[in-house]
Amino acid sequence: MGEKKIFKNPEYYTNREMSWVLFNYRVLSEARDKNIPLFERLKFLSITASNLDEFFMIRVASLKDMVSAGYTKRDIAGMTVSEQLHGLEEQIHELVELQYSTYNRSLLPLLEQNGLHVIKKQEQLTEKEGEYLDKYFESNVYPVLTPMAVDSSRPFPLIRNKSLNLGALVKKKEGGGELEFATVQVPSVLPRIVELPDDKGKRRVILLEEIIERNIHKLFLNYDIVCVYPFRIMRNADLTIEEDEAADLLKEIEKQLKKRQWGEAIRLEVEAGIDKRLLKILKRELSIGEEALYTIDGPLDLTFLMKMYGLEGFKNLKAEKYTPQPVPAFVQKEDIFAAVREGDILLHHPYQSFMPVVDFIRNAAKDPHVLAIKQTLYRVSGNSPIIAALAQAAENGKQVSVLVELKARFDEENNIVWARMLEKAGCHVIYGLVGLKTHSKITLVVRREEDGIRRYVHLGTGNYNDATAKLYTDIGLFTCSEAVGEDATAVFNMLSGYSEPLHWNRLSLAPLWLKDKFLYLIGRERDAALSGKPAHIIAKMNSLCDADVIAALYEASAAGVKIELIVRGICCLKVGIPKVSEHISVRSIVGNFLEHSRIFYFENEGDYEIYCASADWMPRNLERRVEILFPVEKEELKEELLHILKCQLRDTVKAHILTPEGNYEKVDRRGKETYNSQEAFCREAEQIAKEKREEPKSRVFIPETHHE
Amino acid sequence: MKTFAAVDIGSYELSMKIFEFSGKNKMREIDHIRHRIDLGTETYFTGKLSYEKADELSRVLREFAKIMEAYKVEEYQAYGTSAVREMENSGIVLDRLAQRTGIRIDVLSNSEQRFLDYKSIASKGEEFDKLLEKGTVILDIGGGSIQISLFDKGSLTATQNLRLGALWLRERLGRINAKPSQLEELLVEISDAQLAVLKKFYFKDKEIKNIILVDDYLSGLLGAKAKQAQEARYASAEEYQKLMEFLRKRSAGEIAVKLGISEENASLMFIAAVLLNQVMTMTGAELVWAPGVTLCDGIAYEYAQKRKLLVGGHDFEKDIVDSAMSISKRYMGSRKRAETLENLTMVLFEATKKLHGLGKREQLLLRIAAILHDCGKYISIASLGECSYQIIMATEIIGLSHLEREIIANVVKFNHEEFIYYEELSRDSSLDMPAYLTMAKLTAILRLANGMDRSHKQKFKNIKAQLRENELVLTADTGEDITLEKGLFTNRAQFFEEVFNVRPVIRQKKSL
Repeated sequence: MGEKKIFKNPEYYTNREMSWVLFNYRVLSEARDKNIPLFERLKFLSITASNLDEFFMIRVASLKDMVSAGYTKRDIAGMTVSEQLHGLEEQIHELVELQYSTYNRSLLPLLEQNGLHVIKKQEQLTEKEGEYLDKYFESNVYPVLTPMAVDSSRPFPLIRNKSLNLGALVKKKEGGGELEFATVQVPSVLPRIVELPDDKGKRRVILLEEIIERNIHKLFLNYDIVCVYPFRIMRNADLTIEEDEAADLLKEIEKQLKKRQWGEAIRLEVEAGIDKRLLKILKRELSIGEEALYTIDGPLDLTFLMKMYGLEGFKNLKAEKYTPQPVPAFVQKEDIFAAVREGDILLHHPYQSFMPVVDFIRNAAKDPHVLAIKQTLYRVSGNSPIIAALAQAAENGKQVSVLVELKARFDEENNIVWARMLEKAGCHVIYGLVGLKTHSKITLVVRREEDGIRRYVHLGTGNYNDATAKLYTDIGLFTCSEAVGEDATAVFNMLSGYSEPLHWNRLSLAPLWLKDKFLYLIGRERDAALSGKPAHIIAKMNSLCDADVIAALYEASAAGVKIELIVRGICCLKVGIPKVSEHISVRSIVGNFLEHSRIFYFENEGDYEIYCASADWMPRNLERRVEILFPVEKEELKEELLHILKCQLRDTVKAHILTPEGNYEKVDRRGKETYNSQEAFCREAEQIAKEKREEPKSRVFIPETHHE
Repeated sequence: MKTFAAVDIGSYELSMKIFEFSGKNKMREIDHIRHRIDLGTETYFTGKLSYEKADELSRVLREFAKIMEAYKVEEYQAYGTSAVREMENSGIVLDRLAQRTGIRIDVLSNSEQRFLDYKSIASKGEEFDKLLEKGTVILDIGGGSIQISLFDKGSLTATQNLRLGALWLRERLGRINAKPSQLEELLVEISDAQLAVLKKFYFKDKEIKNIILVDDYLSGLLGAKAKQAQEARYASAEEYQKLMEFLRKRSAGEIAVKLGISEENASLMFIAAVLLNQVMTMTGAELVWAPGVTLCDGIAYEYAQKRKLLVGGHDFEKDIVDSAMSISKRYMGSRKRAETLENLTMVLFEATKKLHGLGKREQLLLRIAAILHDCGKYISIASLGECSYQIIMATEIIGLSHLEREIIANVVKFNHEEFIYYEELSRDSSLDMPAYLTMAKLTAILRLANGMDRSHKQKFKNIKAQLRENELVLTADTGEDITLEKGLFTNRAQFFEEVFNVRPVIRQKKSL
């Protein structure tokens, strides 16, 4: 027991928030990478900005909540909440500075060189340009603006979360010289980037707030404008629902959503050079302290860069678009069920198409032999073909049960709409489980066939979202194995509120059994190492911050197990601690596709086992969510997964290595081949699909037997 | 291919299993749905079901009905056990449930329920019969009581119900407020007295090698040892001792974490483990088998037998007859005479099929009545009929419903006493008209048979019965003098005539 305690020493752990900042630096480093096409770099910079917004709303907000609740417990790395907040303020300020120096010093000049001129300030407009934009303002912008002035009779207006606003000091044209505050929101319904008509091959764009600023006097006709500056605030949005008290979860979430816009302000961004008097008013009215103030050297809210990426043209400055390839097992197969009956099928997204998953449900919806379809849905794309197919199935008289997770962050509003739609179509909809988020991704199709009932199961590491399946790397498995089918039935029985099954065949579920299963698997490698046998763990996931799992890994490493971790995001584990983590290496791959699959390899004394899961090694995954871990057992598929892990370990382009000092550094490429694993997977998938296409077609003629 | 649903309305759980029957002798479980609901506590103490519980029951049954529909289930069988049995107003409640959910629930008596449990074991196939070749005890641990059945040389020789159910015991212990360390000791103390009686009566000179465990608590653990669900779940006495040690050393909380079960289940598991340990020690058994079956398996097995979806397998009728014989033996019934009567009744039953229109099941009841015809003499020869009646009513005969038992008890009683007609009998009997008529017909046959063996000398060993117009001609192939029988026969035959409107006539054929 004492042995184990050693491994929980806070010195051996990194704070998760600090580790997150490091992750965002890794994304930022992509925006700074000269080897990447310019417009791709814009995209990465935009991602760092939206990441940071989300981080503020969820993590910083919850730390602030803890402070106000008087929470004194220390985190995994021994830090108090206020220590974490202080550390973060400093680090985030540095991060923001790097974001803007990247934008101003690298990206803007490069855009200029490549024929895109960004007009930074409305004052720089030529007369002709100004005229054009004034017209644009009057016909497009003016009608949707709601200017608000503040005086003693009107209270300070409510500024919406994440919205971009212009703040102004104004003075009545008649009467005393008293300064008043006025504000107008930059409407989010209009494009943030406005392109001016082409001028001799040179393309010019300007941001919407500059156009409004230029015309602001038209909004406050009886006032003189003293100064105008953009500002933006972030509010506390950590959504904590008292589920035990909420009689109707759905209503509660709807209520919370409305409230979310008006939480306490936790960050104020203003443009550098803002008028001191104006800033003072903002700080006072929004109760913002110095630490939460961000003075920005450039346009606020860099997420507009994603829109800039979408500008027509500039093809040579964007990466070539990749088309997900067909999955060989389904090529030339009409009947998806027949294909699955031939053996388990593995899908690697986005290299391989997500369509088989959509088709699986579509076919099930109209197949006369299908009795029931059951599925868990977490985040679904708007206009999802899966939702449509499920509704169709219910209308066709199939029993359709869908567990819709309403607690998916920021997606609640979206989820409620289509959940209602499914209900109307006759589906049995379960709105999540009290106290738990359902994060598992599983679909069960029950089919009555000639020789009895057969169950087809799809298990995945990613959401049933056809849009993100083109961007996130994920693993999916189709199987009709009896053992998995039984387990899948049991999973849905549990999700419907029935008791747990008497035994499980293959699947492990969080929050009940999953953590123990992982600890057992890690422990088994440790025991193997202790008795002098080869022992090896390779694990790929998004985040690693569960103290029990990390301690178990330390213990295994100390016993001599070779542990290779591929962790894209947060990692609270430290490498290279003498006698603790000398045998552990951690790498993070940040590339064009978001690394999202979770794959776990255990050597098991030569008879290796390999699993996929919907869960990361995080307490929230292992303790507060419904998650599924599934083994992949077919030999070729195991090899495929091992190949994926090995390629990622070989990556020398997009991989960052965690150093014992706690920094992430790109692989030292000297003497090594240049190897980009995501790139390689794209080429492999294309190759395999091509081989399949070129396979000699059947030479048998098929006579038509019907004449219509 | 056929799909069937078995529903069990248990005292602490509602469960449903969906089965598929395909091909020859193939029975496959497709789904197992369980919902925790404590019906027992309420009905045991108040005799009624609260509004909330009734509502929950109705809601879950409606869901069950939907699931059945989804699987396109063709037939189902729903049984209620002790909690429903104890309900004073079960008739009203069950009717309402049927109206609201479309699921009709039949009520099982304890002996029927145990019989189904026992069929559930048989549903596991040959392993069962193989174990029975040696002395075997079935230990069936329920929430309220346990059932211990003894198989000797392949036949069921005894079965007893003891109020030592796991939930019942836990409730008792809760009241004593025992320390965990004392738990086992206390459990042993509570159960030992009852088990000792059992041992004295039945297990004394028997050599018992195997124990078959049926329960919801411990079977899972024994099963967890096996990697595959289908793999046999056996433990040797030695292995079981190791398991006991493991459980003894840990608190319920630790066991729960270790095994991934709830703490509540862990404490029940420990109680079940102690009970099993006691029975093992008492019998000296060498092997435990926990087939991991539930009542639902038995329901499905019964259904499959009835529909002839499964053929062969264990002979359950023999078990019922066996257990009747061992009851007769306990009360020093005459084996020889019982055999004669059994023979005679069977011949008469077959010959008069057209008259009575009864089936195989009733034939079995008649046979058991013949076997138990004189059990009351153990207490009083003078009031043989009444005493026999009382004994039969108080003895569990595995596989028979309460109603069936009452039929038998009455048949035996009226074999000796004056018949009481429905109008009077129904005042303090639960027999309804059809059951009463069956009883009357069987009584008529047994009386006739009894009359033919008046001297108890088994003179009518070879008899032929033939139905002719208004006569039932009984031809005895015997060299003995049957004057006594012929004389008393008229008297006995009267009732037969009354019931069937056919006159029995005895003829003697003297073979040389």
